Amino acid sequence: MMKSKLFGWIDERTGAEAIIKSQLTEYQVPKNLNYMWNFGSLALLVLTLQILTGIFLAMYYKPSAMMTYGSYTVAFDSVERIMRDVNFGWLIRYMHAVGASAFFVVVYMHIGRGLYYGSFKGPRELLWIIGVVILLIMQGAAFFGYLLPWGQMSFWGATVITNLFGAIPVLGDFVSQLLRGGFAVGDPTLNRFFSLHYLFPLLLAAIVGGHIHALHVVHSNNPTGLDVHEGKSTIPFHPYYTVKDAFGVGVFLTIYTYIVFFNPQMNGFFIEVDNYVPANNLQTPPHIAPVWYLTPWYTILRSFESKLLGVLMMGASLAILFVLPFLDRSKVRSARYRPVYRQMVFLFFVTVIVLGYCGHSAPTPTLKLIGQLATTYYFAFFLLLPLVNKFEKTKPLPEEI
Amino acid sequence: MTDQTDQSRRNFLYVAAGGMGAVAAGAAVVPFLGSMLPAADTLAASKTEYDVATVQAGQLVVIQWQGKPVFVVNRTPEYLAEVDGHDDMLKDPDSKHIEAVSAEWMDTPEKRKYRAIKPEYLIVVASCTHLGCIPLFKPTKGRKDWGDSVPENWPGGWHCPCHGSLYDISARVIKGSPAPDNLHLMPYKYLTDTKVLIG
Repeated sequence: MMKSKLFGWIDERTGAEAIIKSQLTEYQVPKNLNYMWNFGSLALLVLTLQILTGIFLAMYYKPSAMMTYGSYTVAFDSVERIMRDVNFGWLIRYMHAVGASAFFVVVYMHIGRGLYYGSFKGPRELLWIIGVVILLIMQGAAFFGYLLPWGQMSFWGATVITNLFGAIPVLGDFVSQLLRGGFAVGDPTLNRFFSLHYLFPLLLAAIVGGHIHALHVVHSNNPTGLDVHEGKSTIPFHPYYTVKDAFGVGVFLTIYTYIVFFNPQMNGFFIEVDNYVPANNLQTPPHIAPVWYLTPWYTILRSFESKLLGVLMMGASLAILFVLPFLDRSKVRSARYRPVYRQMVFLFFVTVIVLGYCGHSAPTPTLKLIGQLATTYYFAFFLLLPLVNKFEKTKPLPEEI
Repeated sequence: MTDQTDQSRRNFLYVAAGGMGAVAAGAAVVPFLGSMLPAADTLAASKTEYDVATVQAGQLVVIQWQGKPVFVVNRTPEYLAEVDGHDDMLKDPDSKHIEAVSAEWMDTPEKRKYRAIKPEYLIVVASCTHLGCIPLFKPTKGRKDWGDSVPENWPGGWHCPCHGSLYDISARVIKGSPAPDNLHLMPYKYLTDTKVLIG
């Protein structure tokens, strides 16, 4: 590589050339990755978009529940001002709101890919665990962000979730006061949620760095699940996968911008209609549901009669993801060669969608039963994994990819 | 030269220094965590005065106390009659499970049953003890007025729209609800015949 004088100067002081070689131009990636491997780079793109749009929104947003006139508040008004008066405010806010949902779409696809192709299995256990931490922080950031417009759904969603922590024995009241800064969700809650909503994406950025570093140590899995690190089975990341990722970015942005411009509320899925009603602490809306990406876990919560048990199981449904790499004992990674696991994982995907549907809908006895069945399979999927490899006849693996 | 390091002495110093460091770090957490707890002005027990005479017979009013919603209900004789006859449906008919559902003045079975100083005026915290939503007031018996949002043997009371918890007309939680406890009481006293001081 011909080094310019400037690059040479920088390289001598940073080792930049060696980093570029080891991480991009000579970083070996299996040659057979399909489009399911595009979602990692897309997630990075959406994170960047969220941080950028968020910084600009924070220039106009005011986290205060002080009343203005009518039942409006400073926070609610400042969001409406962004929508109506601030130059391009509508665009930046819709990019941010749609971006939140897009982030979860992309990340859920990314996680589904990892489940199907066994990317969580050794030696990638820690890579997976870091990923679960990222998921939890994302859910936290999304929850904090949803309070900020100070609409009815913001307020009552935050009331319900902070009350969840009240179920913890002994420490419950302390923890929910710590979250709210008062006896009910109010102005102090809004202030601290804004602070944490700004903090969490910065944590995300740092942990995503760790996720990518861990990936580059153990290298990418591939659709066959075979170990391939060098030779004719691999190609350098740049230019081959930078180009493929760029194509994915093009497709993603086409869909994303279409939604931002033509259907930013996505019929109440991305921005709930009730959230255009200012928060009223004396009236609960008739039907409370979280935004779609949290509804599967909300259904698990609702499936138990006991409050404490519901909260524990909801926590367990996320925590069990941490131990997944140690539950699955099969030596074969990819579901392509695991007929039983393949059925199980497909059913698992369907189950999560069913859980999401139940959590989005108003509770009825039928939906409650369906939700309970889905909850049962959600946990059964994980708990059956240690047994599956005892009887599963895996298909022969190919010699090479 | 021989190695004269006194290893056990060195280990002691490591542990002592590390221990002191941990104590200091723990102490440093206190102000930060403490800053997140309710501030002094939030804590300053705000009191609310309310004239219950403004509540019409059979009416429910939601007022605010310390940022929390509070129900004030003027129970008619028909509503008061709905208090009896379904103790077996209740999780805690005598309001004895936890402190927050009981009060000092509950010294007679009558007062335990009605959960009010004056039976006709029920005053309770309006947050569902499940996850804090405000339950809907559905005071008449049976399904006639409420459809299948309530059970067939509905004694009259409240129905929480969020997760379906049910309370009777004395705000006592009905079995099968996700809510663990009766609606909480808050301290209150009558200043005059109808003026109530809440808090």
